[in-house]
Parts: sequence; C-alpha cells; structure tokens
Amino acid sequence: MPAKPVNKQVPSKGGIFSKFKGNIEAIAIGVKFFFNPQRFTLIYPKEYIKLKEGYRGFIVLRKDKCINCGSCARICPAAAMRLIRLPFTDPKTGKTRMKLWPVINYNRCIFCGYCVDVCPTEALYHVPYHDVVYETMDIMDLDLEMFQKEPEWDTEKLGLPVKYVVDEKMGLIKVKIKEEGEKQ
Amino acid sequence: MSGIIRTQGAQVGFNDLKLPGMWSRKIGKDLYEIFIGPQHPGSGHMRIVIRIDGDVIVEADPDMGYVHRTMEKLSEVRTWIKGIPLFERMAIHDACNVTLPYVRAVEKLMDIEAPERAKYLRVLLCEINRIAAFLYGFGIFGVFLGHSTMYMWPFGDREVWVELAEWLTGARLTHSYPVFGGVRRDVPAGFTDALRKAIRYMRKRLEDYRKIFVDNPVIRARLEDVGVIPKNLAIELGITGPNLRASGVKYDVRLNHPYEVYDQLDFEIPVFQEGDAYARVWQRVEEIKQSLNILEQVADWLDKHPRTPILHDKFWKTAPPLYKKIFEETGRAKLGAVYAIMKVPAGKAYERAETARGEISYYVESNGGNKPYRIRIHSASARNALVYKYIVPGHRVMDLPAIYGSIDYFPPEADR
Repeated sequence: MPAKPVNKQVPSKGGIFSKFKGNIEAIAIGVKFFFNPQRFTLIYPKEYIKLKEGYRGFIVLRKDKCINCGSCARICPAAAMRLIRLPFTDPKTGKTRMKLWPVINYNRCIFCGYCVDVCPTEALYHVPYHDVVYETMDIMDLDLEMFQKEPEWDTEKLGLPVKYVVDEKMGLIKVKIKEEGEKQ
Repeated sequence: MSGIIRTQGAQVGFNDLKLPGMWSRKIGKDLYEIFIGPQHPGSGHMRIVIRIDGDVIVEADPDMGYVHRTMEKLSEVRTWIKGIPLFERMAIHDACNVTLPYVRAVEKLMDIEAPERAKYLRVLLCEINRIAAFLYGFGIFGVFLGHSTMYMWPFGDREVWVELAEWLTGARLTHSYPVFGGVRRDVPAGFTDALRKAIRYMRKRLEDYRKIFVDNPVIRARLEDVGVIPKNLAIELGITGPNLRASGVKYDVRLNHPYEVYDQLDFEIPVFQEGDAYARVWQRVEEIKQSLNILEQVADWLDKHPRTPILHDKFWKTAPPLYKKIFEETGRAKLGAVYAIMKVPAGKAYERAETARGEISYYVESNGGNKPYRIRIHSASARNALVYKYIVPGHRVMDLPAIYGSIDYFPPEADR
C-alpha cells in the first residue's frame, strides 16, 4: 500500500474567543512546565555519560592480532590512518623483517568506524568514550606504542557515571549508574 | 569591516544606519541597503541583501555559497566508499537521508539490491533523521521569532531521536550507516521498545507544541499570510519538500517514486493549500506525525522478523566465519576488504530521495574505475533558497525572520 496524499487545513482563524482560549492555553502549559520542568542536564565534569556498547569512540590497536594487511589505511576516508614501516621479530623463527603497521592521526579522524569494520581479524576496536584531551596537536598523531594503549580517560576519575533512558512521559531521563555490582 | 565602510562610505554614505552586526548604506532617497548575515543570530552562513524603503522591503537578494566545500570535485579523487562520509557533511543531522540516494545509485550501477531487512533499517534511520531535522528546524524557527521556549523544547526532544540514532549506529550525527549493499548494523536488543516509547512521547509532545507555539495567537499573528508562495510560483521555481506541499502540490519522492520499502508502508502525505508561513509550520507538524506512523510500522516489522543478513550476498557470502560470529553476537556487519578497493562498472545512474527539506538527487557516473568519474548533487535547500528573492519583497523587515525560519533553509546542504 503506497503513500496517499491527504488534503489538510490549518485551523480556522476564529474570533476573539478562540484568541483568548489560545492565549490561556499557551500560558497554562508554560505554567505547568514552570512547576514541573523536564530537565535532563548533564552536570558534566561531575557526571559523565556511560555510553552504550557499540559507540564509535577512540580506536585502539591490538598488535598481536594485526596481520599488516593495510585495509584500515586504505578505507580511511579522512586519511587519518596510515601505515609505518617498522622491524618485527617473529617469536617463532626469531627472524627480523620490516612490516607495515597502522597508526592513527586524531587531528584527522572523523570516527566513521570504517577501519574497525573492515579489519579482518578484529585487531582494532572502539573504546566507548570520546572526551579525551591531548596537550598539543603533535601528540594527537599517535605512534605505534600509543595506538596500542586505550587513551587516558580523566572524566571517569572525576565524575559519576549516568546513562540516558528513553521514557514515555519525560522523553529522556537521566539514570545514575551505581557501582559495578548494581549493573550486573 | 570598518575599513571597507570608511573607504566606500565617503561616496555612498555607509554607516548612515547604525545596526548591530549589520552593514548598511543609503542608496537613494529613502532607500537603504542592509546586509543581513552571513553571521546572523539564527542559523548562519548565508547573507540576504535587502533594500528597504522605510520599513518595507523592496528587493531581496539571497547570497549563498559561504560554506561551499567542493564536495562534487572532492568525491572524484576518493574511492567510492569514501563518498559516504563526505556527502554526509551536507546535512549532518539528516545524514541517512542525504547519503541514501548516493548509495542507491552506486548499487544500481553494480546491479545489486539491499536485503529486505536492510531496507527496513534504512527507512528506520531515515525517519529518525527526518524527525530530528524537523525538530532542529522548529528550534531555529522559534529563536528567529523570539520564542525561546520553542527553541529549548524541540532541541531537548531532538535529543531523544539523536540518542536512538546513536544507539543504532554508534554515532550521534554522522552515522555513515548505509553502505553499498546494505547497512552496517542491525537493531540492538531492546531498541524497538525504546523506539515505541519515544513515538508515544513525541505524539504527546506535539500537542504541547501546538498549545505553546503553533496555536499561540501571537505566533499566528506573525505567520498568517506572511511569505505566501503561490502554487504556480512554487512549481516554477522548483521548490521541493514540505515547502512545496504547503503550497498545495502533491509531490513527494516517497509517493511519486517510492524507494526502499516506502511502497509497502501505510502513511499519508499531508498537503496544505495556503502556502504561507503558518501552513508550512503545520506541514512540518503533520509530517512528524506521519514519520511516527512509519516508525511504528517499521518497529512492528523488525519485531516480527528474526535477524537475517543485512548485507547483499555478493559481500556476505564470502564473509569469513569470524564476521558471521560477530554479526550473530553484536549485530555489527563487518565490511569485506573489497569495500576499500571496490570498482564500480561503467555507467550512469540517477537516484533521488526525500530529505527533511525536500528532494535530493544524485547523478553518478562511473568509468569503471575505483573512483567516481562525476557526481552531481542537487540538494533541496539550494532550490528552496531561490524563493527569498521572489516572496520577501513587499513584506516588512520583521517578517523576514519569519519567512527565513519557515522555509527551514540549511546553508551547508545548499552550498555543498
């Protein structure tokens, strides 16, 4: 059943009575929300949102899983991921040879998550946060060592975790997540 | 700014009118030219040059192009998949709608079609985006009219839809959700329940909007019979979207050229006859209601059908067991390495879709390489912006924000 066009009409202008009614309605709803406000402001450094699983946050490399295929660098739309040539010693054979490893430049990254999705061995993964501070722009261009560590997340140390839940009456409500025990 | 005023002002009398943040100059007897924008208090990046006689606008000249990013040219030096995050930047809060025709055009060239579940998921995100974009427009409109409550409420309620989109795709705005041959993620557990709650909440909320804004006599007095676009002018200028339908033209891409699963869903296309700013507000309210109807049907469909692959067999058949395991566990469809180096058969394709602001169309040409040969985009806002030149003259200056807001013009989408 395809869509069907339906003619609609704006409500008629009405006389002085409907104007009066409209003003009263507008004031009444204003008063209603004045006494019973819908607020879900995040008091940011004191509280932080614990984001859902699957959030496309900062990206971390698991070097042991990486097979040096370079798909991540090839698919990156912002050219944030690039490959660097570094010596790698195979623990089994003891031979050393050069291999290409991905590193990321967060000055360029747009967090589309293509690199994580295209990685054939799940060597890349997202951490569920995005509020990370780097002191200078130079260190946002990570080296291989930094790329393997999860970025330091100060917000977690400063604040309490909350999450937003869709609610029928209030739209969104802020729910405090207590300690680990309550979550499970 | 001051330097330019001083050099030119000597002859033509710049600085005659002192207005905060605006340039103005006298160009004749009782005739002033005022430059509104490109940084104006609503949504920015566009300048309207108006000439006023007293308080009445005699001429208006929309001056677009402040956020031009050469997207069409940039896409020619990137591989096919990199076009998706690029074109998303046209309207980031309407991301699925603006990228969908590009994805569909490339699919047409490759002669593949997304699986049915992926089609429903695309419609799901499209409608979530549409509602969020309408609410964004309402917020801007409210602040243009000095109605700060209407600025706060829709932006707060938009958060509900943005939150849902984030849950589904992993990003608040730039979702990059549809890919060639399907979508990237399946619905997470518990998503449809939250969606139904949001739908019921939004229906209730629209009644609140009606009381405080749409049926408010003050707002009605400012909007009724302001910025009337007659039916013939709307067709002549090629206006699209809610603005066209508010002028009484029964045209919607979802109705005339249904794509994805819109031909299987039961919904109405509201059409208003008046064509003034007030009808355009009602048009958007009715469109939100219909989007909620669509979402309800999509949620029902998703509940009834179990999880099946969301990428076309061409990509999913050869997927390794790890990919299938991750899809079963998390609903995340991993992309094959072929996406990075994909070559699209030579040919031309044309696709269109209905975004929140009207019809967007893509012409995609491939010469068989791994990059597009040419992509031409015609976006809704670019067509809608023309209307200022024709309907603004004759109104008073105070009507300009009302007209600007009611058109729901979005500069980055127009300038590309």
